[in-house]
Amino acid sequence: MTNSSPEPLLALSNVNTFYGQAQVHFDLSITVARGHIVCLLGGNASGKSTTMKIILGLVKPRSGEVTFDGASLIGLSTPQIVRRGIASVPEARRLFADMSVRENILMGAFVRNDRDAVAQDLDRMLTLFPKLGQRLAQRAGSLSGGEQQMVAMARALMSRPRMIVMDEPTMGLSPLYVDRVLELIRTINQEGVSVFMVEQNASLALEIAHEAYVLQTGRIVLSGPARALKDDPRVRDAYLGGSEAA
Amino acid sequence: MSSWLDYTINGLIVGNVYALVAVGLALIFGVSRLINFAQGSIYLVGAYIGWVAVVQLHTPLPLTIIVVAAAAALVGLIIERFGLRPLQNSVRIAPLLATIGISFVLDQLVMLTFSPNPRALPSQLPDVRFQLGGGTIGPLDLLIAGVGITSALLLFVFLRYSKLGWAVRAASQDRDAAMQMGVDVNRVNQAVFGIAAALGGVSGMLVGMYYNQIDTAMSLQATLKGVVAEVVGGAGNVPGAVIGSLLLGLVESYGVAVFGTSYRNLFAFLLLVVVLVLRPNGLFASARQAPPEPLTGTFIAPSRPVRIPRWALAVAAAGFAILPLFPVSFYVLQTLINAWLLGMLALSLTLVAGTIGQVSLGHAALLAIGAYTSALLSLALSVPVGLAVIGGGLMSAALGTLLISPSFRLRGHYVSIATLAIGEIVSLVILNWESVTRGPIGISGIPPLSLFGYDLISPSSVYWFSLAVIVVLALLQGRLLTSHLGRSFRAIRDDDIAARAYGLSLNRYKSLAFIFGGFAAGVSGGIAAHLYSYINHETFNTQQSILALTVVILGGLGNVVGAIVGSVALVGLPEVFRIAAEYRILIYGIVLLLLVRFRPQGLLGTI
Ligand SMILES: Nc1ncnc2c1ncn2[C@@H]1O[C@H](COP(=O)(O)OP(=O)(O)OP(=O)(O)O)[C@@H](O)[C@H]1O
Ligand SMILES: [Mg+2]
Repeated sequence: MTNSSPEPLLALSNVNTFYGQAQVHFDLSITVARGHIVCLLGGNASGKSTTMKIILGLVKPRSGEVTFDGASLIGLSTPQIVRRGIASVPEARRLFADMSVRENILMGAFVRNDRDAVAQDLDRMLTLFPKLGQRLAQRAGSLSGGEQQMVAMARALMSRPRMIVMDEPTMGLSPLYVDRVLELIRTINQEGVSVFMVEQNASLALEIAHEAYVLQTGRIVLSGPARALKDDPRVRDAYLGGSEAA
Repeated sequence: MSSWLDYTINGLIVGNVYALVAVGLALIFGVSRLINFAQGSIYLVGAYIGWVAVVQLHTPLPLTIIVVAAAAALVGLIIERFGLRPLQNSVRIAPLLATIGISFVLDQLVMLTFSPNPRALPSQLPDVRFQLGGGTIGPLDLLIAGVGITSALLLFVFLRYSKLGWAVRAASQDRDAAMQMGVDVNRVNQAVFGIAAALGGVSGMLVGMYYNQIDTAMSLQATLKGVVAEVVGGAGNVPGAVIGSLLLGLVESYGVAVFGTSYRNLFAFLLLVVVLVLRPNGLFASARQAPPEPLTGTFIAPSRPVRIPRWALAVAAAGFAILPLFPVSFYVLQTLINAWLLGMLALSLTLVAGTIGQVSLGHAALLAIGAYTSALLSLALSVPVGLAVIGGGLMSAALGTLLISPSFRLRGHYVSIATLAIGEIVSLVILNWESVTRGPIGISGIPPLSLFGYDLISPSSVYWFSLAVIVVLALLQGRLLTSHLGRSFRAIRDDDIAARAYGLSLNRYKSLAFIFGGFAAGVSGGIAAHLYSYINHETFNTQQSILALTVVILGGLGNVVGAIVGSVALVGLPEVFRIAAEYRILIYGIVLLLLVRFRPQGLLGTI
């Protein structure tokens, strides 16, 4: 970790999370610096998605602190957190299947009231995701997995977030779409949006991330700059599965 | 009423009325995955507010409609805010039970305010009929159609073009994802309950005008019909609910045309059961798949049951056994006999609800089957009463299991709907199958209880008999639950997918639970028939099913001792405090609400 860094955009410190009796996080601490892409790696059931849910306020930690831009998120509802500037691309995309693609993208702007600017942003999304142009009136549920991922990302961007959290954005996509998604994440990031992404596929994620954390059954076992972790054999040892595509 | 066109018009008009109820149910189900059993009560409230407006305030019709819609919406908002929102993080059965409790409270409040006697609700419209082809149509028909179509259009515009409408649609497709877009689900719930209540209230008022009569029995009927229409259209599907309603209206109307008025409801519930079995996602769902219930997770509040030592139970049983030897009044024994009878029903319900997770809302039907079987065996075939009661238990076990078996693959709320419908069907078959059940006249002159040739006439002998039966049933059930079988039952309740993965045959276990439970309930009904000496199709009604459910929740779902303690408490305490009969149901409703809110695991804990 660099010690010269200013206050991080997002910080989880000493978070402990439980589902009933079962503990999912043990003293979890993660920081996302402004303008960075931070990636959380880990095998199945290590607690990655739960970390996203903690950030979004969908699950409440039993103890610990979560701050965004210096202010605590603990006790805020999910809509309140979204209004602070965090958008999400959930696991398995979670589009509104019976709504049209256009409606799905516009749902992303739900927290905004500037109609004209929203319309402009919709146009901007169509330049960023040109394929969606012909699909605007189609039911979102009828799109292919890759197309749905595009919609989910466009939807997240529509709120003009300061940060996007993504849960396995490349899961189940063909290699072509995987590259496209990674490229888009980089583009989004270059436009100033910080990214926190959860991934199982370490080698892919480490391509684009600035920092990475490795989670193993609820504990951070490894962290550091992505460049350093890329060739670290411990990453692969740290969790089962996921990285065989390397 | 004569021509087919008349029946068609009538079916469509009634369908419009159902649609106003069903659309609200669909909106609520969409957003909360909750069947709002209080919807009929709002409809009832709407009818009585309409009566106050028309008869006492002499409001003109448009104003009446506005007043009713606004007042009903307010009731809906209150229900959402104070009845359901506190349960958001509760187990999934909690909101369902809460809406049942709320409906009892609302119905009773209306009854206490306006008396149970029917009232006339004049329509304020000229009483003329126009010729239309071979049939006739009146201004009220046109009003109902107009209100139905206008509401549908307004709702369409709201959902399609308003921001809140988008939020409603998004939340009903994926609640978590909607929250991640910044949708405040509480506001969505509020909107949905307000709209549903306004539509339901207006519907109740229109029905009151249509039949020129309102009474408190309207409530349950409206809930049932709305639920039928909604499920036929696909739970949570708003346009489906409209089509389901019109279809239901037509099916009923044609059924009445062919078979007569007393068959109206039978057709409605048969339609429901057929749809639930063949297409549980409604007629318009693309595939025959299980309905959208969460697959796993706690439907029932988990807890550690209170352990009561055996000797304490034995002492309690002995105490109750020697009670008649002391100079207690007839009244005390009578009350306890009622408690034992209710306790047998509660044992049955706590087994199927608490251990295999089938929360039945039609359990009184098992009483009715047992009662009729035992009565008819002893009357028509001169079977000795003791054997006849056992026959009643066996018939309940067999027939009850057979009737419920098509819905074994349903879960959660759908089980409750299916059992409610099956309960209604049983009572309607009893009403209509005159050659066997003597129809609406009922069966009188049922011989008193007797054992080995001795009539049990004295209160203490009846008391001992029913106490002995419930003790035996409780011991058997306690034994069953601690056996391997009992553990399999609970595995099914907690996670039927996993249970299936372990190779448990769900249908067999569910059948076993219903056979055992059916027997206990049937015996209770049989004993009751011989005690009352007269029964008819209304002796065992939904109110009893709900009372049994309250007992079971009070005692702790699945808890054998809890079921008996709950029965004694709910039957006995109102007597102790000398609460007037008309307040009792109100109190049961409030008890249910308080339990769900503050102690969902019941007094003695779920097992
Ligand atoms: N709602 C819940 N209730 C109870 N347990 C849960 C719940 N959600 C997740 N869990 C459990 O918590 C643990 C962590 O789950 P989580 O979804 O965070 O893992 P993950 O790392 O995202 O896994 P995957 O790679 O499979 O997506 C798992 O053991 C899971 O079974
Ligand atoms: Mg995950």
